[in-house]
Amino acid sequence: MKIDTMWRAIGLVAIVLPLSGMTGTVAGQMRAANAQAFGVSVNTPTVNQTSPYAVLPAGGALAQDQGQTVAVADFVTAQDAFVIVTGDADPTYGSNAVSSATLGAVSLLNGLITTDGVVAIATSTLGDGLVASDAEGSSLSNLIVNGTAVSDPAPNTRINLPGVGYVVLNEQSATGDGVTTSGITVNMIHVVLQQPILGALGQVTGYQTVGNIIVGSATSNVN
Amino acid sequence: MFKLRNLAMLTAPVAIALTAWSCERQPNAVAPAIGTPLAHFFQFQCTPFKMTGGGRIDYPPGTAEKNPPASHEYETFGAHVMASGLTDQNGTCLADKGALEWIDHRPEFRVNGHPLNLHATEITFAEVATDTDCKDGAAHWGGKLRVQNTGQEDLDFEVWDCDNGEPGVGHDGFAISVPAIDYAVMCPDPDLPPAEPTCTLTGGNRQFHPTH
Repeated sequence: MKIDTMWRAIGLVAIVLPLSGMTGTVAGQMRAANAQAFGVSVNTPTVNQTSPYAVLPAGGALAQDQGQTVAVADFVTAQDAFVIVTGDADPTYGSNAVSSATLGAVSLLNGLITTDGVVAIATSTLGDGLVASDAEGSSLSNLIVNGTAVSDPAPNTRINLPGVGYVVLNEQSATGDGVTTSGITVNMIHVVLQQPILGALGQVTGYQTVGNIIVGSATSNVN
Repeated sequence: MFKLRNLAMLTAPVAIALTAWSCERQPNAVAPAIGTPLAHFFQFQCTPFKMTGGGRIDYPPGTAEKNPPASHEYETFGAHVMASGLTDQNGTCLADKGALEWIDHRPEFRVNGHPLNLHATEITFAEVATDTDCKDGAAHWGGKLRVQNTGQEDLDFEVWDCDNGEPGVGHDGFAISVPAIDYAVMCPDPDLPPAEPTCTLTGGNRQFHPTH
């Protein structure tokens, strides 16, 4: 009898002990919040420049950067660029990351694209039963693309730019599984520079990307 | 039985009177008017907390609706504050650390041709507000800041901060005042969610943690 009781006790401990560890693991789960933002980025075979730029420091809090005038060769000129990133991760209460990039007057490719106000906001939240990211608050003001006014472009609106490539407006790309992780990158103006690929007879058989210009970028993610 | 009945006859009126008195309006009680929320951000306590996040406000009017982009009538910001619940000798709730970056994009507030940019240089106080309807927590905090456009510094500022659940847009709130330059973005309308004087976020999120 005593031996049976002893084995039952050992069995009970064997069941309970791992469960208490699992509970502790869930409650003390490591969490993270990441955020970055930049005003202008140009990446070509001859130019590689990003400014202003801010990234959330390890441990969270806030970082910011700004540039009154940003000019990159013949690619972009921009005024009053501000980038702000904030965030924090708490194992009990959740994670929060918000990044923003705002600019005033912007001109790309010698006036091919102009706008007088860019706001990119990427928000990611884990808490209160919510795991989600969004681009709420992002906007473009008085946007003109190749001579045509574009108002309030929907996410991932693509417009071809003959002889140049194409532009994606209000470009949004989501990351994470939406259960334990969530993230989003918002690029308000993304020009993809292309060159034609010529066949043996000189005909255009396709296009290859030779550079990227991004104006107003905000990224955040949490877990 | 006679005594019991007499006792009941004596105590009943007392009981009725006590009940009536308890229901009578107490002149010092804070009672909400029907259809409007309680007055907010008047009661505070020094307890550890952390408030993080940022985003966008479209003020005026400071509602959940965005103004037309071409108006440039909006503000963007980032704000972070931590407090461990300690007080100084005057009873002021001390802040451990914090940061504030505020950009006002409104054309009429441009300074030297650029958007008004406020940058906190010191966070001196932070207290938890206990009388708001901010579901997840609210705080009142502030310190000193510099106007980046002009270099004016050592200016007092205060912030009213509200985490009213997730997501932040349409729910959370934020307000700021810098008396020295007669600048404020505040929404005192008690019918405007969340707790006045905070203005409603149109982008971003505020997150309150009740621990350091």
